Amino acid sequence: MTAGARLGVDVGGTFTDLVLLRDGQLVTAKVPSTPADQSEGVLSAVQVAGVSDVVAFAHGMTVATNALLERRGARTALVTTEGFRDLLEIGRQNRPSLYDLSMGRPRQLVPRELRFCVRERMGPGGVIEPLDEQSLHEVVAALRSAGVEAVAVCLLFGFLHPAHERRVGEAIRAALPSVHVSLSSAVLPEVREYERCSTVTADAYLGPKLGAYLANLGDRAVAAGLPEPLIMQSSGGVTELRRAANLASACVLSGPAGGVVGAAYAGRESGYADLLSFDMGGTSTDVAPIVGGVCPVTTGAEVAGVPIRHPMVDVHTVSAGGGSIAARDAGGALRVGPESAGAVPGPAAYGRGGDRATVTDANLYLGRLEDGARLGSGEVQLSRAYAERALEQLGDELHLTAQETALGVIRVANAEMARALRVVSVERGLDPRRFALAAFGGAGAMHACALAEELGIATILVPEAGGVLSALGLAISDLRQDLVQALPAPLTDAISERVEEGFGELEARARASLEGPALRLERQADLRYRHQAFELTVAADDVSALASNFHAAHQQRYGYATPEQPVELVSLRMVATLPVDKPVLDTPPADSHAPAKSRRVHTGAAWETVPVHVRANMGAGSRVTGPSVIELAGATAWVAPGWSGEIDSAGALVLTCRES
Amino acid sequence: MDPVTLSVMAGALAGIAEEMGVVLVRSSYSSNIKERRDCSTALFDARGRMVAQAEHIPVHLGAMPEAVAAVIDRNPEPGDVFIVNDPFTGGTHLPDITLVSAIAGSDEEVIAYGVTRAHHSDIGGKSSGSMPADSRSIFEEGLIIPPVRLVCRGEPVADVLELVLANVRTPAVRRGDLKAQLAANRVAEIRLNELLDRPDAPPAPIIFDEVISYAERLTRGLLGELPDGVAEAASELEGDGVTDADIPIRVRVEISADQLRVDFAGTSGPVAGNVNCPVPVTRSACFFALRVLAGAGIPANAGAYAPLDVLIPEPSLLAAPRPSAVVAGNVETSQRIADTVLAALAQLVDFLPAQGQGTMNNVIIGGEDWTYYETIGGGQGATGAGPGPSGVHVGMTNTLNTPIEAFELEYPMRVERYELRYGSGGDGRHEGGDGIERSIRVLAPASASLLTDRRRHAPAGMAGGLPGGVGQNLLNGEPVPPKAALSLAAGDVLTVRTPGGGGWGQA
Repeated sequence: MTAGARLGVDVGGTFTDLVLLRDGQLVTAKVPSTPADQSEGVLSAVQVAGVSDVVAFAHGMTVATNALLERRGARTALVTTEGFRDLLEIGRQNRPSLYDLSMGRPRQLVPRELRFCVRERMGPGGVIEPLDEQSLHEVVAALRSAGVEAVAVCLLFGFLHPAHERRVGEAIRAALPSVHVSLSSAVLPEVREYERCSTVTADAYLGPKLGAYLANLGDRAVAAGLPEPLIMQSSGGVTELRRAANLASACVLSGPAGGVVGAAYAGRESGYADLLSFDMGGTSTDVAPIVGGVCPVTTGAEVAGVPIRHPMVDVHTVSAGGGSIAARDAGGALRVGPESAGAVPGPAAYGRGGDRATVTDANLYLGRLEDGARLGSGEVQLSRAYAERALEQLGDELHLTAQETALGVIRVANAEMARALRVVSVERGLDPRRFALAAFGGAGAMHACALAEELGIATILVPEAGGVLSALGLAISDLRQDLVQALPAPLTDAISERVEEGFGELEARARASLEGPALRLERQADLRYRHQAFELTVAADDVSALASNFHAAHQQRYGYATPEQPVELVSLRMVATLPVDKPVLDTPPADSHAPAKSRRVHTGAAWETVPVHVRANMGAGSRVTGPSVIELAGATAWVAPGWSGEIDSAGALVLTCRES
Repeated sequence: MDPVTLSVMAGALAGIAEEMGVVLVRSSYSSNIKERRDCSTALFDARGRMVAQAEHIPVHLGAMPEAVAAVIDRNPEPGDVFIVNDPFTGGTHLPDITLVSAIAGSDEEVIAYGVTRAHHSDIGGKSSGSMPADSRSIFEEGLIIPPVRLVCRGEPVADVLELVLANVRTPAVRRGDLKAQLAANRVAEIRLNELLDRPDAPPAPIIFDEVISYAERLTRGLLGELPDGVAEAASELEGDGVTDADIPIRVRVEISADQLRVDFAGTSGPVAGNVNCPVPVTRSACFFALRVLAGAGIPANAGAYAPLDVLIPEPSLLAAPRPSAVVAGNVETSQRIADTVLAALAQLVDFLPAQGQGTMNNVIIGGEDWTYYETIGGGQGATGAGPGPSGVHVGMTNTLNTPIEAFELEYPMRVERYELRYGSGGDGRHEGGDGIERSIRVLAPASASLLTDRRRHAPAGMAGGLPGGVGQNLLNGEPVPPKAALSLAAGDVLTVRTPGGGGWGQA
């Protein structure tokens, strides 16, 4: 047990969630988000929960993501090598849609008039053309008169030879001290100029806005008697506030990262290290793999049309959820989504003017949701009659009954979700049958049994904190720092000295930023076969085992390896983590055996009267047998026939399939 | 089939093709497949009809049925994998190697075919990269592989693989890419059988029939909404690498009810150079035009193309006879076919864009033991909705560039300039996208091939918009023809300026 409490506050689109962990017990709070200044909502959640005695406070937010999505970052200039002014706009030369020729590219972060060049050139071996100071002076003058708030600098081969970039940065900072400057060699010293340029530009574009937000939040938190907040990064680890402000591009997936970390923690507490997390909400669904208790990170993703090459938790999002609209298409097939009814008007069952059937309407019609149930703070009430009318209407078009239509909508939606889960398992070389399914979000636990059956998964986990899992993830997040250094070279025995030297430098940098006896340093290397264009990241604790680690990773991921082929080193990586104590979740046994309600539910085969349990009346050891329904805080679980389980000591509902 | 099962099955088949594509792209060796994604994957039924395709670039669109038909003619047995690249027996041009796997169902009958096609960066022939600018017959372009077994009833046929590898300049890379294709084909077999084992799955032939007729209904529905009419268009290719003279392309399109007919009567006969097209390439360019017309959301299968009739005079530029040289047909002529068909259709409907750069700007440079192949983006045409993007691939391709830093680490060359040609997009209410200027200095002696177009005939504007600027090729500052084979000394600089897209509407 830890002495003080750990606090996590996550700002989402609609709600700001809070989790306070004290002695293994959870206190949660939910307040409306405050988009104009997200820190308002943070502080009001803290007030609602009556927080005190906090030893650690971690925060996840969407400030950076939203600024990128809405293109409301700083007025940003880009400085590149002469002759390469439009690196960012050209990108990889591919167009966004193969056949929709009216689709333009996402808006550029830096317009043409703010792209500047300096005369210089680095190559693989170093200086080809020295930096021309005159051209640098001209650029600085142009930046001054353009009145920019931020500047990104990305010179060719800056990842390997940063001298010119540093000189450019120094000149700009000296002349324009109030301007935010991001250098590609500092933000992302990795090969491939476009992705590096895109990342450093996003960093400059977001820096001023995120910096101002965090400074304000930090002040307010300290004034409220809280520790300075730690900030969730896309990697799934938190970092100090000032570091986050200095590397804004590493925080663009701050929000989703918390959820995956929370799922991993909840899974571990229940004894499951390998999970597929499945967070199904109203308009979208996030899925992610968790392997051996940790969330795998990818080396980047595209966010709002901007490639960002920082480590990011491997979350895959599909635009389908409870609010997805079902319709007959022109070819006569039943399609679900991508159109969503959203919150307004919402599903037909909300009675707010929506008259098209959604996944939620189908669940309500089949009895898996309760007729008359109130949602959120009670302003919306579900009406099965409205749902039925919408399903009948759709059924008329499909020549199906309302019931067949409802079952069909569920089946089509589940097929879509199963596809998403396959992307993060099968397509990553992971066999879903070895995983448990961690279901959360408003609709996750309603679809989990069918998905588990389709994917051959034998265990489902519904964490108690499913409604605030991101905030829970924040409360227990480790401090983390990702460092990278380019080292393009053939992997031979001759290189091992340079590898050791490189790791030595990375380690020194890691120790300079994270201190503590528990500091964990993980060495990794990006490798590929000669002529390959993509790398695999493998463990590099033992340099002599690099090649064999790589062959094994290649075999696992792609189904084959060619040990006779020469291997190339591309980059060295170091993941430094400072683990925090993870409290043990502890749920008391049920103190009363409140009788279950019951209602008519369609099981997929027939209508049956099934028990309806209320999670709040259950405790560790409470058992359920399908078919049955469990009403959770803000969500409903459907336990299909053949499934049964109990609440475990960590408070999670653990379901297993009887037949397997 | 009920509307629910139909939806689930159509999605599942598309998912199989996509997963094949993921495996192929991820596990291939060469940047040409992995980074540029010059590849496609598909599932065919036992009768040789395409039931799902994941195309990464349009030039592979619907271009594989001939390859599967050629394999079926050779009586494949379960577990056989055929390899083919012969443009006159199901292929397109020699670098595109297709693997066709015969997939067995539970009763050991062939129920389907898994198919992958990938552009290999070398397949032998007179010049490294197998994209010679001056070839005059197929024999100069590389190794011709008729449909032969690479795997026989599950057993690899090492002799065939060895024969292929002995004829290419980079055998280790070829071996890796072929392994990646085999891995993707295996995915098709595993996933299809998993799908058929599901309790809610109807028998395979029923699924395939239903999903194909579903796509056909959707396509016919969309065509039926367009006005009936007939229109003609004329265009030209700028030389064939042998002579610099224009080569005429003529097309007449007819929309009647839910049917589209495309007739190329009046188009040039076969030419001496290598811009000839085998029939699958010509059809693929027409499929592209249909796809642009019909919009997204239609499953890519045989049904989507059933409403299209393509009439090609034989022999001709667009139905080349053996042993014509064809390597540039796929990469350049296909662009012009799509442009010309769309130009004719634009007289019948009002939502099509101005013309894009209309070329792939193929650059192939090779030295002693290395080969580099790249295509360069340019301007896309503007539309009624907005300006055309700059520096992108248009029409039949959508491959990624090679990063400059990766390029310079790998090859004895240096990129001296890579930026947009501001102002090269056509003026209009919405401006066309700008072309690119890319200059490469070679640091060692090398040979180079340029296969480019739109160097004198500009991409047209639409609805009163002005044409885009033409492109230009330069060697040490001196102009060279659109299609050229060059010998480079260390220090020479090759510059390619790509065309801008046409503008839309009066400025």
